[in-house]
Amino acid sequence: MTDLSTADIRVDVNAIEKSLSELWRGQQDGEDAVTRAALWNVVAHTSTSDLHASASETLGRASAVVPQRTIVVRSNPADEAELTSWISANCHLIGDGKQVCSEEINIVAGGDRIHRVPPVVSALLIPDMPVAFWWLGDLPNEHEAYVELLLESADRLIVDSAHFDSPADLALVVRIAEQTSTSPADLNWGRLEEWRSATASIFDPPQMRNRLDTIRRVRVIAGSSNHEFFGESIESLLFASWLSAQVGHVVESSGTVQGSSGTIDYAFEKRYQSTDVGGIAQVEISFADGTCASIMRDRDRGVLVANVDGSVMVQSVTRTLNQRLDELIVRQLKRSEGDRVLRRVLPLALKLSKRV
Amino acid sequence: MSLVTPAIEPNPLREGLEQERVPDASCLVIFGASGDLTQRKLIPALYSLAHDGLLPAGQTIIGYARPDYTDDAFRIAMRESCDKFARTRPVDEAVWENFAKGLFYVRGEFGEPDGIIRLNEKMKECDDSRGTGGRRIYYLAVPPQFFPVIAELLGREKMVTDPEQGGPFTRVIIEKPFGHDLKSARELNHVAVSTFRERQVFRIDHYLGKETVQNLLVLRFANGIFEPFWNRQYIDHVQITVAESIGVEKRGPYFETAGISRDIIQNHMLQLVSLIGMEPPVAFEADAVRDEKVKVLRALREFPRGRETEVAVRGQYVDGSVLGEKAVAYRKEVKVAPNSNVDTYAALKIFIDNWRWADVPFYIRAGKRLPKRVTDISIHFRPAPYPLFHKLANVKMQPNVLAIRIQPDEGISLKFDSKVPGPTVRTAPVTMEFRYATSFGAEPPEAYERLLLETMLGDSTLFARRDEVETAWAWLDPLLNAWAADPAGPSTYSAGTWGPEAADQLIEHDGRKWRRP
Repeated sequence: MTDLSTADIRVDVNAIEKSLSELWRGQQDGEDAVTRAALWNVVAHTSTSDLHASASETLGRASAVVPQRTIVVRSNPADEAELTSWISANCHLIGDGKQVCSEEINIVAGGDRIHRVPPVVSALLIPDMPVAFWWLGDLPNEHEAYVELLLESADRLIVDSAHFDSPADLALVVRIAEQTSTSPADLNWGRLEEWRSATASIFDPPQMRNRLDTIRRVRVIAGSSNHEFFGESIESLLFASWLSAQVGHVVESSGTVQGSSGTIDYAFEKRYQSTDVGGIAQVEISFADGTCASIMRDRDRGVLVANVDGSVMVQSVTRTLNQRLDELIVRQLKRSEGDRVLRRVLPLALKLSKRV
Repeated sequence: MSLVTPAIEPNPLREGLEQERVPDASCLVIFGASGDLTQRKLIPALYSLAHDGLLPAGQTIIGYARPDYTDDAFRIAMRESCDKFARTRPVDEAVWENFAKGLFYVRGEFGEPDGIIRLNEKMKECDDSRGTGGRRIYYLAVPPQFFPVIAELLGREKMVTDPEQGGPFTRVIIEKPFGHDLKSARELNHVAVSTFRERQVFRIDHYLGKETVQNLLVLRFANGIFEPFWNRQYIDHVQITVAESIGVEKRGPYFETAGISRDIIQNHMLQLVSLIGMEPPVAFEADAVRDEKVKVLRALREFPRGRETEVAVRGQYVDGSVLGEKAVAYRKEVKVAPNSNVDTYAALKIFIDNWRWADVPFYIRAGKRLPKRVTDISIHFRPAPYPLFHKLANVKMQPNVLAIRIQPDEGISLKFDSKVPGPTVRTAPVTMEFRYATSFGAEPPEAYERLLLETMLGDSTLFARRDEVETAWAWLDPLLNAWAADPAGPSTYSAGTWGPEAADQLIEHDGRKWRRP
C-alpha cells in the first residue's frame, strides 16, 4: 500500500487553491482509493521555525483523527520581508486499503509582509466549516489589534496557558471570550480533565453529593521548576477556579473565596520536580466535619487515585490521559461547541491569580 | 408523608466532562454468568465502561451460574475474556485491578431458592462495603424458559424494589428472543409484569445500541434537509438488507426453532423499519420515541391471506462457497435436522399504511451465508418530475439514492447525477460520502456498552417496549403460520449468493432491483 502523503510543494501564495486542486487531481490518478476529508479549518500561528515545525508535525498527527484543512503560519515582523507558501497532503490509512488525506498549507511571512497574512488566511478557509485558531507560544498581548484581526473568522481560539508569562495573557483570553464570538480553548484545561474527572468521582455517590456544601479547605500541590514563571501556576489556578465555579463559591476581586458558610481556604503549594512542571501532583479537599478527600497521582500505574476519610466510598481510580500535544488538540476539536465551563472558569482564574 | 424518594441533584462537577452522566453504584447480577454472552460481550463491555471512566467507583458485578467458581476463579476467567474481547485492549492493569475488586460470584441453580438467598446476602454485604445502596440490576443471560422461575424467586424473596414505592431501583434486562410467537411473547411479558413494572423491564435488541442505528434519528430529525422529502411524494421505495456471511455455527438447535424470520426480521429488521418510518417524536424521551415506533408497527399492512408468497419469499442455503471458502448446506450443519425446512433467508415486500408512506414498498431481506456481512438501508427517490435530458443522447438518468450503511464501514452516501465535463451533455452518477471512520476516527463503543450504561442510568429509549414486541409478533405470526403449513418448504440458494431467485423476482416484478450493498 503506497502512502499517498506528499512532500512539500512550493506554490505561489496567490494560487494556493489552484495548486491544491492539481494536487488532488494527481492523487486520483493512482490505483489507491483516496478520500479527501475535512471537518475543521485549523490555523496554527507561530513566530519561529521551531514552533512552525512543531505545529506542522502535531497537526499532521491530529489530522489522522480529525481530518482538517491545516494552515500553518510563521509570522515575525523581525524577520526578512517575504511571503512564501507551500502545500502538502497528510494521508492516513483507515483500513480496507483506503486512505484519508487532509491538506496542509504553510505560509511564512516576515517584515511588513506580515500584514498580508490575515487576508490570505481568510481566503483559504473552507466555507461552512468551523475555524480553530491555535496560537503557539506566548500570546502577544501587546499586539492585541493584530490578534483580533486574525481571529475575526475564528470560532475557537486554542492557547496553551502553560506558556503564559503573566496574568495579562490570561486577561487577553478572558477579554476575547467576553467580547467576541470566539470561544476560548486551553490545552492546559485539557490536561486538567483527568483531575476534574477524578474529583467528580468523589462526589458521584448520592451520599457524598451534599458534602460539596461543606468544603472548607482546598489544597492544590503542583510541580515547580524553581523558576518564578507564571505558566507553572495556571493548572492549579484553573482547578481551583473550576471547583469554585461548579460548587457555587464566590471568588472576590481580591482572590478571596466565599462559600455559603464563610471563607474557603484555597492553598496553592509548589513542589520541586524535574518533569511535569506545572502539573498538579495532589489535591486535598477538607470538609466541615474534619474529614478529607484526597486525590493523588500514581505515576507508575498511570492513574489518579481518590479516597475519602470516614466514608464507605470505594476507592476511585481514574485513568490518566495521553497528554501529547496532538491528543490535546484532538480533544479540543472533537468538541463541536465551545466549552461553557471554561468560559465560566477563566475570569475566576484571573481573580485567583493574585494568590500565586 | 410522600413515599417517593426525593431526586438527588446531578453532580455539578460532571458538567462538561466527557463522562457527563455516571450512574449511581448498583449490584448488577448476571444470571448465566458462565455463558458465552457474559464472556464475549457483557464483562468486556463493563470493563470498557470502567476503562473510560463511565462506571461509578462502587459498581458491583455478581455472576450467578451453576459451575462451582470462587470469586478469584471467576475474576481470572473474566480477565481472560477482557484480554480477548474488550474494545479497550490491552487491558489496563490499574483499571482492571479496581474493576476486579467489584467482581463476585455466587453459585446456584436458576430455580434454587437457596442460591437466590445466598445471592441476596452477597448483595446486602456489598451495600455495606461498596455503597450500592440496595440498587439492583438483574441481567437474564439465560434461555427464556428460566425467566419465569428466576422472576418468581426474586419476587418471593423481596429482591425487587421500586423508587415509586420509596425504595431503591430494581431493573431487569431480558435478552431476545422475546417469545416464539405472539402467544409466548404475551406469556413472557405477563410473567415480567407480575414481578416487575413495565418501566423496570429493559428488553435488549443490540441493534439499537449501534451508533449508526441511533444516528438514524439524528439524520432524520436533527437535519432540516431530509424530513421534507421523507414521504411518499418523493420516495419511490425503501430497501433494507441484513446479510451475514456466516452460517448458523454452534447455534443450530436455536436456529431450528427460530429461523431467520424470528432471529432477525421480527426484531432487528422491524426496529430499522420503524426508525425509518416513524413520525417525529414530541421529545427525545423513552416513551415519546417508542410511541412513534409502535405506531409504525401498527400500520404495517397485513399479509394477504392465502397469497403470502406474493409478498414474502423464504430460502435455505445449500452447498456453495462464501468468500472463496466451501460452505456446507444448512441441513448438513451441526445439530440441524437433515430434512429441516427452517428459513435461513427471507425477503418481504411490506407497506406502512399511513399518510406518509401509503403505497411505498419497503423491500426487506435478511439471510445467512450471503456473499458478505452487511446491514444497509437505502432510500430510493422518485425520478425528476420532467425528463428534461431524456431526449439527449448519452443521457441515462438514474434515481437518487440515500444509502445508510449500518455495518461494517458505517456511513451515509447520496447518489446523484452530474454532468460529465466536456462539450456534449452526458451525465454520470456520482456519490457524496460520509464515513464514520473518516470523520470521527475513533472506534465507537460496542452496542452492549451503550445499552448496559443506559440501563444503569434508567433510560429505556434504546430498549423494546412490551407493545412493540407484541405488535411485531401480531403482524408476523400469520406469515409464520402460513409458512409452517406450506409443505413446499423454502426455496434453496447456494451459499455465497444473494438468496433464491424468487427473491429477485419479488422486486423485479415491480420493475425494481435489489441494490448491491
